[in-house]
Amino acid sequence: MYELARKALKLAEEAGAEEAEIYYAANHSTGVNFKKDALENAKDRFSEGLGIRAIVNGAVGFASTNFAGELENAVKIAVAEARVRENDPDWVALPSNGKYPQVSGIFDKKVEALELEECIGYAVELVEGTKEVPGTLPTSGGFTRSNSRRLILNTNGIEIEEESTGVSGFVDVITVNGDTSTAYDFAVSRSLDIDFFALGKNASELALKSRGGIKIEQQKTDVIFHPFAFSDILEEALAPSIDADNVQKGRSGLIDKIGEEIAVPELCIYDDGLVEAGIDTSASDDEGVPSQHTTVLENGVLETYLYDSYTAGKAGVKSTGNGSRSSYTSSPSVGLRNFVIDYPQEDIIANTTSGVFVNTIIGAHTANSISGDFSVEARNAFTIKDGALDKPVKSLLISGNAFELLKNITGAGFDVRKVGGIITPSIRVSGMSVIG
Amino acid sequence: MKSIMQDIKFYDCRVIEGSSTSIVLDNGKIEEISRNFTRGAGIRALCGGSWGYTAVEGDIDLKLGVDAASKLAFSMNASTPKEEVELAAVNSPDVKDLPEIRIDPRDIAIEEKVDLLKSMEEHAKIAGVNSTQVMYLESEFKVQYRSSECLECEYELLNVGFAVSAVASENGVYQAGRESRFGYGYELFENENVLELAGNAGKTAIELLKAKTPKGGEMPVVLDQELAGVFAHEAVGHASEADLVLEGDSILENRIGEQIASPLITIIDDPTLHEFGYYPFDAEGSESKRTEIIRDGVFNSYLHSRETAAKLGGTPGNCRAQGYSMPVVRMSNTFIDNGDSKFEEMLEEVKNGMYLVGSRGGQVNTGEGIFQFNAEKGYLIKNGELSGLLRDVSLSGNTLEILNHVTHVGNDLKMTAGRCGKAGQLVPVSDGSPHISISKALIGGA
Repeated sequence: MYELARKALKLAEEAGAEEAEIYYAANHSTGVNFKKDALENAKDRFSEGLGIRAIVNGAVGFASTNFAGELENAVKIAVAEARVRENDPDWVALPSNGKYPQVSGIFDKKVEALELEECIGYAVELVEGTKEVPGTLPTSGGFTRSNSRRLILNTNGIEIEEESTGVSGFVDVITVNGDTSTAYDFAVSRSLDIDFFALGKNASELALKSRGGIKIEQQKTDVIFHPFAFSDILEEALAPSIDADNVQKGRSGLIDKIGEEIAVPELCIYDDGLVEAGIDTSASDDEGVPSQHTTVLENGVLETYLYDSYTAGKAGVKSTGNGSRSSYTSSPSVGLRNFVIDYPQEDIIANTTSGVFVNTIIGAHTANSISGDFSVEARNAFTIKDGALDKPVKSLLISGNAFELLKNITGAGFDVRKVGGIITPSIRVSGMSVIG
Repeated sequence: MKSIMQDIKFYDCRVIEGSSTSIVLDNGKIEEISRNFTRGAGIRALCGGSWGYTAVEGDIDLKLGVDAASKLAFSMNASTPKEEVELAAVNSPDVKDLPEIRIDPRDIAIEEKVDLLKSMEEHAKIAGVNSTQVMYLESEFKVQYRSSECLECEYELLNVGFAVSAVASENGVYQAGRESRFGYGYELFENENVLELAGNAGKTAIELLKAKTPKGGEMPVVLDQELAGVFAHEAVGHASEADLVLEGDSILENRIGEQIASPLITIIDDPTLHEFGYYPFDAEGSESKRTEIIRDGVFNSYLHSRETAAKLGGTPGNCRAQGYSMPVVRMSNTFIDNGDSKFEEMLEEVKNGMYLVGSRGGQVNTGEGIFQFNAEKGYLIKNGELSGLLRDVSLSGNTLEILNHVTHVGNDLKMTAGRCGKAGQLVPVSDGSPHISISKALIGGA
């Protein structure tokens, strides 16, 4: 399909497209997975395809295919779809500035060259890690490596090609005796710098520590969210409101809030496609706009929304390089790049007299993405007493609002973690409503 | 290669070819018309106790695919040998009674579909609604299955559906209403009163603006069909998936034959129903069949793949995959079966509590049997009558406790179509229930 990308662009112009874009993506991933403590399967996945955007009279059509035989048809359909639509007065143009920044750390030759035996070795390390902690068993998990190649071409002269690699490890564990408790840990990286043994061990220790959970009184208290828990809330309850598309359509809780202090003054948030070795780092976004460092929140003040080229054109501003696609089968829409939470760090648990520490949450996706309201079940939660974790909490419901939360942040830990594209330390929020 | 193939006990291939169309209308404007063509295959090979899996897209050479998957299985088994995997026997499935399609959506011009979406949107945009979105989805695909046991079968399905959402805001408060329906054939848009449903999405958004947030705590509740269906699927259905049981990640492990729920409760998974989770045979060529997960409160059966059925004893038929992904044990159409109570009786019985309606999703920890669901809305029940509308209501608790606290099961079963995620794969499912009442549950609020 790679060789056909240029041909597809020409075909689109011949079919009557005034502007056209070809997005080619290929991915090869290898995964080794275990069930309980035995390796169960090895998976190899080859994916490759082309997405075509065709523009006629300011209207966009989109089609995609993953086999050569259907390419001409797909191109014609994209153009025909554009013709069905009325002129879109908000359409400006496909991206055209092709000057790209240098990014580093996103491709690792060693990852690309990994043999199956080595992949098996890393999966075994995850399992071995859990065995360090007696009384627990892994339930499932695995190791995955992947390499990807992406090519974006458009009729405005954009041409950018990039290769990247990825590595991840995931492990889910359960306690085997007495009170049942579960926990998980995972890590994602661009290269082989993950300590897989430690991931397994951490998960097992956490599951074991979580046994014998107590009930706690319904109360308002300080809650420290581990990066796993905090990033879930950010992604589901806050991020949708800084998406310019939602703002323009009246579906954001942050409409007309630019320039307003919406958070505590110590808090800064950046969206940064250039982070060294970041999971969402690349020279351009998924429509060929150069990646950049965008200050979303500076000292608590909302500086900007995030834009792809369409929403930027509509608002009369420059794209922030947030055009994003889940695969070649979809046209771009606004998505986070590396989303970095910055708050003065401290020894967060030691500096907390009483409260609750929450490792992970379930149910974040049920948050109201406009109002920011959420109600989630905390997992692997612990009470904090005099600056130390005290007792595990069996079941804990935490309700709140993402925008209120931003105003009640009182601390951050040293434990910055890359949770996929969200980079954050543990965050302490005061006055959270909890029901045990 | 020959020597490797001698050790390969079993292999199979699924070839899937299809296309999909989506149209998105946003605030009265076409936002997207998109068409996708896909072709690919998923190939499994089994060597001893290890599976090799290869997924390829585009033009496929099945022989190469089988070789690649076999090599993976062989290497895995060589480096970490373990107990041999046995597979429960399957017969060639009888592919029959597929959903009938009266109006082929491919015969309907795209302009007509766009016009339908536009009138739906007009109905959703009632006074006070400031943003709307209507989506049309259509997909057709053909599945061909072949195995080393000489099983060969195929089927084609074509489904359509829509989703409409409306958002209303007032004084910085935003609330959304949503409706969606999925089915087989364009007659869906005649059978369902789509314009009224669109209007309901708008009304819900407006109503919720005025709704209060509940005071949390333990209380008796009544669940509507949709939320009770989500409970059946999320809390009970997932825990009955035999792969999770074998991983030690289910509270239902070793519970077959035990009374685990109120005797009023019967929960069924049935892929033969022409609901959204329908399939004639699963991703291993096993003919689809009805399974009683819980019968009269007694835990009766897990849901199985061929591998789990051989290990635990049972019948396969619930192994499914999204596209070319590796199949895993999944549900199909899962529901609490009808009882004989009436909704009004439940309210009277509950007297003071809460009525929870609709779902905005939920999650469950199958190992510990803990779940959390958010209702779309709720009503206070005061002296047996519905009063004050509530929003941001969530229900959480322990699956087995809730099952035992069911005091009434209604006679008004209704199914809702959706997509279920597991192992990174989404598959179409439906779930449902009649109204049910529960004597004690934990409600979360602001």
